[in-house]
Amino acid sequence: MQDHVHPHDSARDGSSDATPGGMPGKRRPGELLFTVFLVLFSGVLLWNAFGISGFEALSGPGAVPMATAAVMLVSALIVLVRTLPLPRTTDETVMRDILPPLAIVIVLLLVAYGLLLRPLGFLPTSALFLIAAIKILSRRGWGFTVAVSLGSLVLIYLVFRIVFSVLMPAGIVPEGEMLQALRDLFGGGV
Amino acid sequence: MDALMAFLTVFTQPQLLLLVAAGTFAGVYVGAIPGLSVTMAVSILISFTFSWDVLPAISLMIGVYMGGVYGGSRTAILLNIPGAPSAIATAMDGYPMAQRGEAGEAIGITTVMSFFGGFVGIAVLALLAPTVSDFAIRFQPRDYMLIAVLGILLVGSLSSGSLVKGIFAGALGIGIGAVGMDPLTFTERFTFDIPLLRGGISFIAVMIGMFGVSEALMQLHNIDTPAIKQKISRIVPSFGTIRKHLPLSLQTSSLGVLIGALPGTGGDIAALMAYDHAKRVTKSPSRPFGQGAIEGLVAPETANNAAVGGAFIPMMTLGIPGDAVTAIMIGALFIHGLNPGPLLMVDQPDMFWFIVGALVTANCFMLLFGLTGIKLFTRIVEMPRAVLIPLILLLSIVGAYAVNNAITDVYWMLGFGVFGYFMRHYGYPLGPVILGVILSRLLDDNWRRAIISEREDLGRFFYGIVTSPLSLCLLVAVILIFVSQTPLWTRFRKKESSAK
Repeated sequence: MQDHVHPHDSARDGSSDATPGGMPGKRRPGELLFTVFLVLFSGVLLWNAFGISGFEALSGPGAVPMATAAVMLVSALIVLVRTLPLPRTTDETVMRDILPPLAIVIVLLLVAYGLLLRPLGFLPTSALFLIAAIKILSRRGWGFTVAVSLGSLVLIYLVFRIVFSVLMPAGIVPEGEMLQALRDLFGGGV
Repeated sequence: MDALMAFLTVFTQPQLLLLVAAGTFAGVYVGAIPGLSVTMAVSILISFTFSWDVLPAISLMIGVYMGGVYGGSRTAILLNIPGAPSAIATAMDGYPMAQRGEAGEAIGITTVMSFFGGFVGIAVLALLAPTVSDFAIRFQPRDYMLIAVLGILLVGSLSSGSLVKGIFAGALGIGIGAVGMDPLTFTERFTFDIPLLRGGISFIAVMIGMFGVSEALMQLHNIDTPAIKQKISRIVPSFGTIRKHLPLSLQTSSLGVLIGALPGTGGDIAALMAYDHAKRVTKSPSRPFGQGAIEGLVAPETANNAAVGGAFIPMMTLGIPGDAVTAIMIGALFIHGLNPGPLLMVDQPDMFWFIVGALVTANCFMLLFGLTGIKLFTRIVEMPRAVLIPLILLLSIVGAYAVNNAITDVYWMLGFGVFGYFMRHYGYPLGPVILGVILSRLLDDNWRRAIISEREDLGRFFYGIVTSPLSLCLLVAVILIFVSQTPLWTRFRKKESSAK
């Protein structure tokens, strides 16, 4: 994957509210499409907001949603008008700088995580996710990948299950029995 | 007397003291590790601590907040990678110092100055908030509405980005906050007849998506940036150095508190503005700015920590967040059944003084952790991003899922994560979105209250605004923000700066 070696100008990636990214005076790849999407999206929202209570009353439930959607539409249109005439950046492509294959792979992994979480349970799903993601990103050997993944998963599980008492789906793992066995081991069956 | 007791709660309860310490310690690392931000950490923490009592939960979050705002400076100095947005300005002079082998000195000054700034912020909070809240009880619904609008606009206008994009982001946030059943009339809003949307969108999923997932995806771009190793020498700065920079640090701290206290704008903007201020007022810096000037460290670091105390002022007195992190904390207080605003200060002043106490404690721990453990620190920060990114994503998933035990929230988080990722690429600020989500209800309620009390008459509504000094000031501020973006004004500014 070539995005590993491409020198990426991180100033163009928004890092905070103070420096939101983008490129002044230039149009980044995909920017026009995104702006058009925002315009259409705002339009749909405005139509939907109009359907809530129309112009029936200023204090109606649809008043603020309509105003909000209108503001979105107008500002998105202004952005569109300003973006249209800008020259495109010459040193960037969508595949390399905006949506590298790596990002798509990670998003797909997250979708898979959501699909598997209920049936498989937290521990197996997370283990698979971490192993896959760390392997793809680090390109190190399997030993490193599995050790780091499982090690950090155990740590996360202990901290969140025990300190924060967060309940995640158990799935195929007999979690209750495991914790009980642990308690028996340390607490002498108390 | 009660206030004093509440103030001292943190010191008298070892458990709370420990939580503040742990939070601050974790915060320093969260802030320092590029890719982990305070906003992200606090949003993830809400979902883990919502089953706790309110005091321990708040203690932990305050620790993380204080430590995190400071922690970013470390990586900025050592690696030239600001670990947190509030440390962007710190890298400009901190890294050149490190290149000369003065990393230890730079870290020392940064720590002491952050402590100083943090203290100024807290002092102003403690002195001013009670007065502001007395005053705030007299605020009309329309004033709340105007302050909310002002807060959403300010981020866009004070940042280096575009105001229109900031406005879009804020409106989007208000829209997200409106999804679901209208609490007054039980009409469905923005639900598109999808049953799942009737309950609204979990703001925690939005926050974790915008700040956690989008940041993790963004970090994929610099996955192979190598770490540079540093030697650390002298750390604690001399008293002379501190005294020499006292006037500047007082100015930039005050600037920091002010920016922090403005609704919506936080430490990241405060730090950049303070750096700018220092460049203008310092006649003879220790070295030219950008080449390792100590003044270039003093200004942003005092300002960003002063902004922490400042950000709590509108949060505690009006229920309007001072920045993105306090926006999330308001969410946390809601979850714990508290309703931040002028009445909280009257009904439960203990809560206010407890928060002040926790801030003071966190500030002291920050000084302690800041001056120690730097060797261990450099090692942890060198954690490869290939490991860090999957871990952030896993924590984000757990955080989003844990609040409602719903897979849907995980998908919302992912959706907003991807959307936020594109917003960042194209220069849209994310802070206004969160602010909008948090303020949506307040804005809607107060608009409806205001217009109903004027019998649905817009003319009377505007008459009410222009005849009340406070409302008028707020309206003028809102208008000024718009005027400052018009071509006429920008031309004027350009002329002014070229004349210099």
